[in-house]
Amino acid sequence: MIEAALPGAEVEVVDETGTADHLRATVTAPQFEGLSRLDQHRLVKAAVKPRFEDGAIHALSLKTSPPR
Amino acid sequence: MSVADAELKQKVEELIAANPVLLFMKGTPDMPRCGFSMRVVQALDSIDVEYGAIDVLPALQPLREVTAEISDWQTFPQLYVNGELIGGADIVEEMLESGELAEALGVEQPATPPAAAQAAPPAQSPPLQIE
Repeated sequence: MIEAALPGAEVEVVDETGTADHLRATVTAPQFEGLSRLDQHRLVKAAVKPRFEDGAIHALSLKTSPPR
Repeated sequence: MSVADAELKQKVEELIAANPVLLFMKGTPDMPRCGFSMRVVQALDSIDVEYGAIDVLPALQPLREVTAEISDWQTFPQLYVNGELIGGADIVEEMLESGELAEALGVEQPATPPAAAQAAPPAQSPPLQIE
Protein backbone atom coordinates (compact mmCIF):
# COMPACT_ATOMS: atom_id res chain seq x y z
CA MET A 1 0.00 0.00 0.00
CA ILE A 2 2.81 2.39 0.92
CA GLU A 3 4.79 1.23 -2.08
CA ALA A 4 1.82 1.90 -4.36
CA ALA A 5 1.51 5.47 -3.08
CA LEU A 6 5.25 6.13 -3.16
CA PRO A 7 6.72 4.43 -6.24
CA GLY A 8 10.30 3.39 -5.68
CA ALA A 9 9.89 3.28 -1.91
CA GLU A 10 11.54 0.60 0.16
CA VAL A 11 9.26 -0.48 2.97
CA GLU A 12 9.95 -2.78 5.86
CA VAL A 13 7.07 -3.55 8.18
CA VAL A 14 7.34 -5.26 11.55
CA ASP A 15 4.31 -6.63 13.35
CA GLU A 16 5.12 -5.52 16.89
CA THR A 17 2.45 -7.38 18.79
CA GLY A 18 1.81 -10.41 16.59
CA THR A 19 -1.73 -9.17 16.06
CA ALA A 20 -0.98 -7.35 12.79
CA ASP A 21 -2.60 -4.12 14.01
CA HIS A 22 0.33 -2.50 15.81
CA LEU A 23 2.94 -2.02 13.13
CA ARG A 24 6.35 -0.48 12.85
CA ALA A 25 7.43 0.59 9.39
CA THR A 26 10.73 1.81 8.07
CA VAL A 27 10.23 3.64 4.80
CA THR A 28 12.88 4.91 2.44
CA ALA A 29 11.48 6.77 -0.53
CA PRO A 30 12.84 9.11 -3.19
CA GLN A 31 9.75 11.30 -2.65
CA PHE A 32 11.10 12.21 0.82
CA GLU A 33 14.06 14.09 -0.59
CA GLY A 34 13.99 17.66 0.71
CA LEU A 35 10.97 17.10 2.94
CA SER A 36 10.85 17.60 6.70
CA ARG A 37 10.27 14.50 8.84
CA LEU A 38 6.75 15.79 9.45
CA ASP A 39 6.02 15.90 5.73
CA GLN A 40 7.60 12.47 5.20
CA HIS A 41 5.32 11.04 7.87
CA ARG A 42 2.33 12.87 6.39
CA LEU A 43 2.92 11.16 3.04
CA VAL A 44 3.06 7.68 4.59
CA LYS A 45 0.10 8.29 6.87
CA ALA A 46 -1.98 9.51 3.93
CA ALA A 47 -1.11 6.31 2.07
CA VAL A 48 -2.27 4.03 4.88
CA LYS A 49 -5.21 6.15 6.05
CA PRO A 50 -7.86 3.72 4.69
CA ARG A 51 -6.44 0.91 6.86
CA PHE A 52 -6.76 3.11 9.95
CA GLU A 53 -10.29 4.08 8.99
CA ASP A 54 -11.41 0.48 8.49
CA GLY A 55 -9.78 -0.44 11.80
CA ALA A 56 -7.20 -2.84 10.37
CA ILE A 57 -4.37 -0.82 11.93
CA HIS A 58 -4.48 0.73 15.40
CA ALA A 59 -0.97 2.03 15.70
CA LEU A 60 1.83 2.67 13.26
CA SER A 61 5.31 3.60 14.32
CA LEU A 62 7.31 5.23 11.54
CA LYS A 63 10.89 5.85 10.64
CA THR A 64 11.32 7.61 7.33
CA SER A 65 14.24 8.82 5.30
CA PRO A 66 15.19 9.63 1.72
CA PRO A 67 17.48 7.11 0.00
CA ARG A 68 21.17 7.53 0.76
CA MET B 1 -17.10 23.29 11.20
CA SER B 2 -19.58 23.68 14.05
CA VAL B 3 -19.57 26.64 16.42
CA ALA B 4 -18.28 24.39 19.19
CA ASP B 5 -15.39 23.21 17.02
CA ALA B 6 -14.54 26.76 16.01
CA GLU B 7 -14.37 27.71 19.68
CA LEU B 8 -12.22 24.67 20.43
CA LYS B 9 -9.91 25.53 17.56
CA GLN B 10 -9.46 29.04 18.91
CA LYS B 11 -8.79 27.64 22.39
CA VAL B 12 -6.19 25.22 21.03
CA GLU B 13 -4.49 27.95 19.03
CA GLU B 14 -4.34 30.13 22.15
CA LEU B 15 -2.82 27.28 24.18
CA ILE B 16 -0.21 26.60 21.50
CA ALA B 17 0.68 30.29 21.41
CA ALA B 18 0.80 30.62 25.20
CA ASN B 19 2.97 27.57 25.95
CA PRO B 20 6.49 27.45 24.49
CA VAL B 21 6.54 23.67 24.94
CA LEU B 22 3.14 22.02 24.76
CA LEU B 23 2.27 18.36 24.55
CA PHE B 24 -1.12 17.04 23.50
CA MET B 25 -1.23 13.50 24.84
CA LYS B 26 -3.48 10.65 25.87
CA GLY B 27 -3.55 10.73 29.66
CA THR B 28 -1.28 12.88 31.81
CA PRO B 29 2.52 12.98 32.24
CA ASP B 30 2.07 11.14 35.54
CA MET B 31 -0.29 8.61 34.04
CA PRO B 32 0.04 8.29 30.27
CA ARG B 33 -2.76 6.25 28.73
CA CYS B 34 -0.92 5.33 25.55
CA GLY B 35 2.56 4.03 24.84
CA PHE B 36 3.29 6.70 22.24
CA SER B 37 2.35 9.48 24.69
CA MET B 38 4.50 7.86 27.36
CA ARG B 39 7.49 7.85 25.01
CA VAL B 40 7.22 11.60 24.45
CA VAL B 41 6.87 12.26 28.20
CA GLN B 42 10.01 10.19 28.78
CA ALA B 43 11.87 12.06 26.06
CA LEU B 44 10.94 15.44 27.54
CA ASP B 45 11.71 14.37 31.09
CA SER B 46 15.09 13.02 30.00
CA ILE B 47 16.21 16.46 28.91
CA ASP B 48 14.70 18.17 31.91
CA VAL B 49 12.47 20.66 30.15
CA GLU B 50 9.32 22.29 31.46
CA TYR B 51 6.24 21.72 29.38
CA GLY B 52 2.50 22.02 29.41
CA ALA B 53 0.48 18.88 28.83
CA ILE B 54 -3.08 18.49 27.66
CA ASP B 55 -5.01 15.26 27.96
CA VAL B 56 -6.86 14.82 24.67
CA LEU B 57 -8.95 11.85 25.74
CA PRO B 58 -11.94 13.84 27.05
CA ALA B 59 -12.37 15.42 23.60
CA LEU B 60 -10.48 13.08 21.30
CA GLN B 61 -12.47 13.33 18.08
CA PRO B 62 -13.02 17.12 18.15
CA LEU B 63 -9.32 17.63 18.92
CA ARG B 64 -8.35 15.36 16.02
CA GLU B 65 -10.43 17.51 13.70
CA VAL B 66 -9.05 20.75 15.10
CA THR B 67 -5.38 19.71 14.95
CA ALA B 68 -5.92 18.34 11.45
CA GLU B 69 -6.91 21.87 10.45
CA ILE B 70 -4.22 23.65 12.42
CA SER B 71 -1.27 21.37 11.68
CA ASP B 72 -2.41 18.74 9.16
CA TRP B 73 -1.80 16.12 11.85
CA GLN B 74 -4.51 14.16 13.63
CA THR B 75 -2.83 11.53 15.72
CA PHE B 76 -1.67 12.03 19.30
CA PRO B 77 0.73 12.71 20.94
CA GLN B 78 1.66 16.01 19.31
CA LEU B 79 4.51 18.12 20.60
CA TYR B 80 4.55 21.84 19.85
CA VAL B 81 7.60 24.01 20.41
CA ASN B 82 7.28 27.78 20.02
CA GLY B 83 4.00 27.38 18.20
CA GLU B 84 5.25 24.82 15.69
CA LEU B 85 4.36 21.16 15.51
CA ILE B 86 7.51 19.12 16.07
CA GLY B 87 5.93 15.71 15.64
CA GLY B 88 4.67 12.62 17.40
CA ALA B 89 6.57 9.97 19.36
CA ASP B 90 8.68 8.66 16.47
CA ILE B 91 9.94 12.07 15.39
CA VAL B 92 10.48 13.28 18.97
CA GLU B 93 12.58 10.19 19.77
CA GLU B 94 14.62 10.51 16.59
CA MET B 95 15.27 14.15 17.45
CA LEU B 96 16.17 13.27 21.04
CA GLU B 97 18.76 10.77 19.84
CA SER B 98 20.25 13.17 17.30
CA GLY B 99 20.36 16.09 19.74
CA GLU B 100 17.93 18.11 17.61
CA LEU B 101 15.27 18.04 20.32
CA ALA B 102 17.50 19.65 22.92
CA GLU B 103 18.53 22.19 20.30
CA ALA B 104 14.91 22.99 19.40
CA LEU B 105 14.09 23.38 23.08
CA GLY B 106 17.16 25.48 23.78
CA VAL B 107 18.52 23.17 26.50
CA GLU B 108 21.75 21.26 26.93
CA GLN B 109 21.63 17.65 25.85
CA PRO B 110 22.39 15.71 29.03
CA ALA B 111 25.45 13.51 28.95
CA THR B 112 23.57 10.66 30.61
CA PRO B 113 21.60 8.31 28.41
CA PRO B 114 17.81 8.84 28.51
CA ALA B 115 17.22 5.60 30.43
CA ALA B 116 19.34 6.82 33.36
CA ALA B 117 17.87 10.30 33.23
CA GLN B 118 14.38 8.95 33.78
CA ALA B 119 15.21 8.37 37.43
CA ALA B 120 15.48 12.14 37.92
CA PRO B 121 12.30 13.87 39.10
CA PRO B 122 10.38 15.14 36.09
CA ALA B 123 10.21 18.87 35.60
CA GLN B 124 6.76 19.59 34.38
CA SER B 125 4.01 22.10 34.73
CA PRO B 126 0.65 21.05 36.11
CA PRO B 127 -1.66 19.58 33.49
CA LEU B 128 -3.64 22.12 31.53
CA GLN B 129 -7.35 21.73 31.09
CA ILE B 130 -9.50 22.45 28.13
CA GLU B 131 -12.69 23.92 29.52
